[in-house]
Amino acid sequence: MNQNMKILIVDDELVVRESLYHWFSREGYETGTAENGNEALQKLSKENFDTLFVDMKMPGMGGFELLETVKKLYPDTAVVIITAYGSIDSAVQAIKIGASDYLLKPFKPDQLSLVMEKISQQLKLTSEYKYLKGQMDKISRFDNIIGQSDPMKKIYSVIEEVAKTDAPILILGETGTGKELIAKAIHVKSLRNNLPFVALNCGAFPDSLLEAELFGYAKGAFTGAAHSRKGFFEVVSGGTLFLDEIGEISRKMQVDLLRVLQEKKITRLGDTHPIDVNFRLLSATRQDLQTKIQEGHFRSDFFYRINIISIEIPPLRERKEDIPLLVYHFLEKYSQETTKKIDSVDKTTLDHLKAYPWPGNVRELENAVERAVVLSKSRTLTLKDFDFLKLAPDLSPPSYETLSLQDMEKRHIETVLRNNDWNISRSADILGVSRATLHRMINRHGTEKP
Amino acid sequence: MARKSREIDRDGFCLGIQPIGEIDPGYLKILAGSFLGELGIRTLILPGLAQPDYAFDSRRIQYDAGIIITRLEAMEFKGCRCVIALMDADLFIPVFSFVLGEARMGGDHALVSIFRLQGNRSGIVKVALHEFGHLMGLDHCHEDTCVMKFSKNVEQLDSISSMFCNYCLDQIRYGIRKKPERP
Repeated sequence: MNQNMKILIVDDELVVRESLYHWFSREGYETGTAENGNEALQKLSKENFDTLFVDMKMPGMGGFELLETVKKLYPDTAVVIITAYGSIDSAVQAIKIGASDYLLKPFKPDQLSLVMEKISQQLKLTSEYKYLKGQMDKISRFDNIIGQSDPMKKIYSVIEEVAKTDAPILILGETGTGKELIAKAIHVKSLRNNLPFVALNCGAFPDSLLEAELFGYAKGAFTGAAHSRKGFFEVVSGGTLFLDEIGEISRKMQVDLLRVLQEKKITRLGDTHPIDVNFRLLSATRQDLQTKIQEGHFRSDFFYRINIISIEIPPLRERKEDIPLLVYHFLEKYSQETTKKIDSVDKTTLDHLKAYPWPGNVRELENAVERAVVLSKSRTLTLKDFDFLKLAPDLSPPSYETLSLQDMEKRHIETVLRNNDWNISRSADILGVSRATLHRMINRHGTEKP
Repeated sequence: MARKSREIDRDGFCLGIQPIGEIDPGYLKILAGSFLGELGIRTLILPGLAQPDYAFDSRRIQYDAGIIITRLEAMEFKGCRCVIALMDADLFIPVFSFVLGEARMGGDHALVSIFRLQGNRSGIVKVALHEFGHLMGLDHCHEDTCVMKFSKNVEQLDSISSMFCNYCLDQIRYGIRKKPERP
């Protein structure tokens, strides 16, 4: 297959469509054809084409109109205008609107080859640029945190305020809310941003191992310690240490950490020489530390030491307005990773995703979008692609007792249409009405095809 | 890389070579020899056909390759599984200003024009082998050493090989074996 490029030929003349189709097929391109502009747009909405060859003069929607629409809806798609009625004016106009090239029929085979080489280069450069830009954004964006809701805006302003200080910060939030992202954002905005950011999940280590990881050890400190090793307090050397799941550490470890925070000195296990350390501590937990203090599992002095400033990240269900932003962010991320051209989510699906409670928060949403992207076969994600979430009570339709007759009719029509891929005849048969009646009902309810 | 045996299926497959218009018999013999030598395919030189006036486009002063192939498809060539027609006039298909040869992918009939290849015997052989490849269902090849590589123009045609790469040769073998009998 030729560089996996997909081509759509749009021409009202069958003989032209066939000639180009055969030529491109023999060159190994995956090729489709459309008889007019509307058919081309319909095909584009279902599958991705990298390049369109569009006849300038077609009945109905002309080549320039199609070019304009395609450039608006799918700016990455290259469009080549072909015409038997060429003029300098029309060539200039085509290029101005965004055509990649302009070919006069009949053209020499080598002209077409040159155009394809040029477009292939263009598409390669564009995709490389997008990839690199994405990588740069990842590196340079302090946020990497998606969200425009009021609670998130407040968090951004707190990050801006506290980042430049050296005060320990406690980040609170349910699992999957992005506590480590907030910690990284604080580090990036801090004066220590050119020094290491070291993250450690305290919940993942038993006490003795956590001690060795944090403080390091001297040679012979315990069986198997064949060499001395630096702990994270030393490794971080001037940077930021992020301790996730701080609520999981033992009371003994809390005492040890408290001492380090106060004295800024550590002693490696099995050693006697204190070593000066310099770091900023950020910690995070999903637990209610106040309750743990009351229950005697967490030391209040340690709590006050790490909790000079606290940032609480709201769960996703409390900032539903961020869900579309997050969905599109992950959609872009995973369609790039999987090289699948999926670029939209239909409105009904977005509404359902907003209604879902997301107990696993942003992480769960990310996993759901990734799964949908991997399994989806169309360019737009629909409810079908999130079928696996339907088990959740909030995504299932609301109880019929609470719906008006009209709403119930609308919902039922939508369900039947969706289940039949919007085939009007089949849906009308199932509903027991004529096609015309079904069309009237669709218009009356303002139901839109996704 | 070692070349594979050229032997394909000497007994079961016969390719017809159909002259159209005034064709130097020397070209026909060279083609027959090349198919036998390169692919081990038996050929049959068919009696000549008259110039296809029905396919002449007076505006372009060229012959429409698609129309000629359609006419060939309607004819019977006894004893020949596939036919390659050789023509001395200039050919076109609607979008291109000219073509050196034309074949429908997986079809039974191909057309080669010697109009732009007068005196270029190896060029004629390359185009014929290339179009035969399309009849066997082959796409263009990206190997510089393969006759299935697309030539943008006559100059580039001279620079490509007159042999199939091993991959395309395997595909030709497969194509000949799997080609259904004509009804």
